[in-house]
Amino acid sequence: MSNENFRRELNRAFDGMAGQHSPTLSGRIRSAIARPPAARSHYWIAAAAACVIAVLIVGVLFVANPLHRPTSNVGGPVASPSASPSASPSPSASPTASTAPFQCGTTYGPITQNGPLSAYVSDVRTGSHPGYDRITITFSNGAPTSVEVRAQTNATFTTDPKGEAVTLLGNSGLLVTIRGADEHTNYSGSTDFKTGYSKLLEARQVQDFEGVVQWGIGLSGNTCYRVYLLKNPDRVVIDAQTGT
Amino acid sequence: MSAAVMEQPAQTLTRAAQGDQDSFSELIEPLLDPAYRLAAVMLADRGAAEDAVQEASVKAWRNLRQLRGDATSLRPWFLSIVANECRMARRTRWWSVIKIADVDTQDKPQPESYSDLHRALLRLSPDDRLPLVLHFYLDLPLDEVARALHVSPSAAKSRIYRSAKRLRADLTMEEVF
Repeated sequence: MSNENFRRELNRAFDGMAGQHSPTLSGRIRSAIARPPAARSHYWIAAAAACVIAVLIVGVLFVANPLHRPTSNVGGPVASPSASPSASPSPSASPTASTAPFQCGTTYGPITQNGPLSAYVSDVRTGSHPGYDRITITFSNGAPTSVEVRAQTNATFTTDPKGEAVTLLGNSGLLVTIRGADEHTNYSGSTDFKTGYSKLLEARQVQDFEGVVQWGIGLSGNTCYRVYLLKNPDRVVIDAQTGT
Repeated sequence: MSAAVMEQPAQTLTRAAQGDQDSFSELIEPLLDPAYRLAAVMLADRGAAEDAVQEASVKAWRNLRQLRGDATSLRPWFLSIVANECRMARRTRWWSVIKIADVDTQDKPQPESYSDLHRALLRLSPDDRLPLVLHFYLDLPLDEVARALHVSPSAAKSRIYRSAKRLRADLTMEEVF
């Protein structure tokens, strides 16, 4: 079906749904605009009061932490960083002290967890630290439902849905697959980082389609890495070990 | 319609922002039809659509000072308010009264005269219909669709394509754009 046919048929369907608005709509709007807003003021007071109460309740629950939930959540073969993860949400901030071992050439996950229908990526950052290069993918509204990292012996990845092969800097790679996520609602940053680091040479988005976000990571040398799934804010942290 | 809006002198917008109701009416009048069509498709209820447009118009009037950019920004800005109003209308509807129109669209078998595309359209969520309405039905350029959806143009393109693919799985990008 051609573009024109599709458009025509679609618009016919839309016409069937919409029809015509009543001729009085314009007059209704004029008189609604002319009406002073004072009549609604008590709703605003009620709404403001409800907001204050909600904030107070959330604040009390947050401080009291009645369920004693841990503030970090780590899946897969690695352990949580021993320092509070919320103390260093950024890869460029001082790295957390960690005893988590690196895994080499193996697959991480998929680790599944509870999350919203679509977790919105809000930030992607890279950083270099003693012993490892790091990439952090942060979400604004909850954790993604599944995270998987696959090691590969080259730095060539396939974009989806285009199906094009892209070769990143480096001679090995990691393919990070995040399901239940999207990167176009809350994220407008770079989708291709050429870092200049010694290990993590390039990170590039290869998919953001149908609730699946994929990043290809080009590495130099071996694929020794570790993964953290952290909270506050929800984020996926991947460290590629340098000197390997 | 679009040309008429774009040619509105900046002074009309300034006067409207200063509280001149006639100037605001002059600006908003050409946008009522697309706004109604957008709301009617999102809500599948013509009465509720008119209410949503009315409420959105009042909000636009009260918040006109928040409009960034010139008169060409008015249309996507206003349509985004209408879309928000439709979302709110749907949210409040589930716990209030189940309107006849809801029963019509959700429970009753759809008329035989409906095309497959029409049926598929009714099965889409309102938020999935939104980019299609903006792009195909209202014929907005991609950058205006993006502004109305509060996303980048490439993200808007992706959302249009994704929604179109939900209507007809074999569509290619070339057939959509």
